[in-house]
Amino acid sequence: MNQLQWTRRAFMYTTSGIAAAAAMGRIPGASAQDAKALKIWANPGVHRVGARDWSAMAGQAGVEIAATAKSARADESIQKMVVGDGNKLFDAVTDNGGGMEDALASQGAIVPLDTSQIPNWKNILPVYNEGGLAAHTIRFEGKVYSTPMISNADSMAYDFKALGFHPDSWGVMFDSQFKGRVALQNDFGPTLTNMAIYLKESGKIDIENPSDMKPDEVKAVCQFLIEWKKKGQFRTFWDGFQNGANLLISGEVLMSSCWEPIQLVADRETGDEADIRYGTMKEGHQTWNNMIMLTKGGRERGMDALYYKLANVYLSPWFGSRTLAGLGFAPQMTGVDEYLKANAADFPEGTEARVLDILTRKNARFGVKGNSWQNVFPTNIRAYQDWWARLQAA
Amino acid sequence: MESTATPSSSPTRRGRDIPASPVWWQRLLGENGIQKWVFFIPIVFFVLFFAAPVVLTIVFSFFERTQFWMEPGFTLFAYENFFTSARAENYVFSMLHSAAAVVVSFVLGFPIAVFVRRRVAKAAQHRVILLFILPFMISELVRVFAMRPVLGRNGVVNNFLIDIGIINEPITIILFSPLGVIIGDVMSFLPFMIFAGFLALEAVQNYIFEVCDDLGAGPARLFGDIIVPLAAPGIFAGSVFIFVNSMGVALVPTLLGGPGAVNAGLIANQAIVALDFPLAMAISTIMILTLVLLLYVGHRLFDLTKVLEPIS
Repeated sequence: MNQLQWTRRAFMYTTSGIAAAAAMGRIPGASAQDAKALKIWANPGVHRVGARDWSAMAGQAGVEIAATAKSARADESIQKMVVGDGNKLFDAVTDNGGGMEDALASQGAIVPLDTSQIPNWKNILPVYNEGGLAAHTIRFEGKVYSTPMISNADSMAYDFKALGFHPDSWGVMFDSQFKGRVALQNDFGPTLTNMAIYLKESGKIDIENPSDMKPDEVKAVCQFLIEWKKKGQFRTFWDGFQNGANLLISGEVLMSSCWEPIQLVADRETGDEADIRYGTMKEGHQTWNNMIMLTKGGRERGMDALYYKLANVYLSPWFGSRTLAGLGFAPQMTGVDEYLKANAADFPEGTEARVLDILTRKNARFGVKGNSWQNVFPTNIRAYQDWWARLQAA
Repeated sequence: MESTATPSSSPTRRGRDIPASPVWWQRLLGENGIQKWVFFIPIVFFVLFFAAPVVLTIVFSFFERTQFWMEPGFTLFAYENFFTSARAENYVFSMLHSAAAVVVSFVLGFPIAVFVRRRVAKAAQHRVILLFILPFMISELVRVFAMRPVLGRNGVVNNFLIDIGIINEPITIILFSPLGVIIGDVMSFLPFMIFAGFLALEAVQNYIFEVCDDLGAGPARLFGDIIVPLAAPGIFAGSVFIFVNSMGVALVPTLLGGPGAVNAGLIANQAIVALDFPLAMAISTIMILTLVLLLYVGHRLFDLTKVLEPIS
């Protein structure tokens, strides 16, 4: 076989393989259209608004978006971005703040940002500014690595109609009259943090930092939960959105620590049969955010400008008002209330008042002194894991 | 020197035609071509998709955990962590629940297999058995989730029992409890017992039943002394399917279990979520060893090679 034959054959194999793969599915970068598109790895249910696909987001940003669906699992992100081929495939990736930016930046998977390229950065919530409570959730070694998109202070959903009062403390979950009617999230991160906040702020256990507990503190929190589990206080620990919502919709539990969208769906689904509300707990809440990061591969491919355009949308009241109205997540910028008032016609009737009410209650939750920011990788994660297993076995 | 062939006539030897040399595609498809290698395809498949992942799982279980991944090394830490934490306890609970699911599946499923084998017309038997595949056409998530409105506090079972006056308060032990997990496992995996039991009974010749009838063996004796022993390898095979699935399928304890309910699969999954890959591999290795041990015991007791062999 001469060189010409080899070259022709190799060319045929290569192009036919690419054509077949491109026809069957999608290889990012396989078409001229993709070459211009910002390839993002994001949770479509949470990180886009305005349409059932990414068209509204793309239209606002003036950028073509080629999105691949992603879950919220940390192991999936780490495997793809640190060990796998995430940097080849994606220009931008979304994930939890308060841990994932440190993990990915320390491994060189994401790059620092020039926030001056994002005009709406000037509207970002003050907590993200240098020295702010959430400043660390978007920074690694002092440099900004991510743009926040959504956040919340996770609390407890409850059926007001059944309870007859508005709980303002996590302590109501441990009231024996509600034995067997309480659910917790089946995730040691938010559950142990929220319980640590409760136990610390109510003076029951000395805990220095509920987001990053020492092994003894983890043990004390879990032993408290084990004691109540053995008494039959908890109906179950829920996993997954639909599972969590169903517990409230079916009336199986009267209260559940959960994400706010679960409360919104449960309240809508139950109609007049129940009145599912989302409380503000005086002890505090675990606060968290999701952010979008520019990958090292994205920078190498010169996608910075497209990333900044999309990041600018995430910090616009256009996005903030819609994520608040649709899923109840907190906008990451100021000026959403003014935007809603000025653009009330863009939303279904009654949205403005409803959403402003959610925003007011949300701000009240964010204002509680005992709040603690999510920590995806606590220092003593092994203790968290091991004690969570004991709680499961109890 | 003789000429071996002429262009105008076929070559002959002792008056018979000598076939022309096979063309390239005939050689490719011939005994020395693909045919020679085609039987190696299952071996390649087995090595690539079964043996290699199993070996890697075992090897990785001895690796060192790093912050986000693992690095080569040899440590028993993952195993030590498994056996000295509550995970071992969870694992044993998972085995007990799975064993209970097997027993209940046998009690409910095997009589169905016997009924179909003995009472349904021969021509219809396979069709009836195939009906039990129907639930598998529905997503397992939907099937398991659908148990909640049936077993729940305000579910069909409780409402019915309250309506007919048997109970005043809803029974809560049938959902979000170990019993709920066993019910879910049985509902999910019962067909395995029916299929395996039926296949084993198919190997039993009809005249054996006829002889038993002629000799006056009652139904209980027939079932206990004849049918179960003859179908034992099939029952065991079905039991292994149910046991392994109950141990490994995380959906059932997640949707129907009580607070923090887990099975072996879920324990491994939770280790992965926490980026403790060596621990997840160690748990998987322990699951593999459990299954191998189970199969060994089963083989010693029932000789699993005879599952489908006709019994005369």
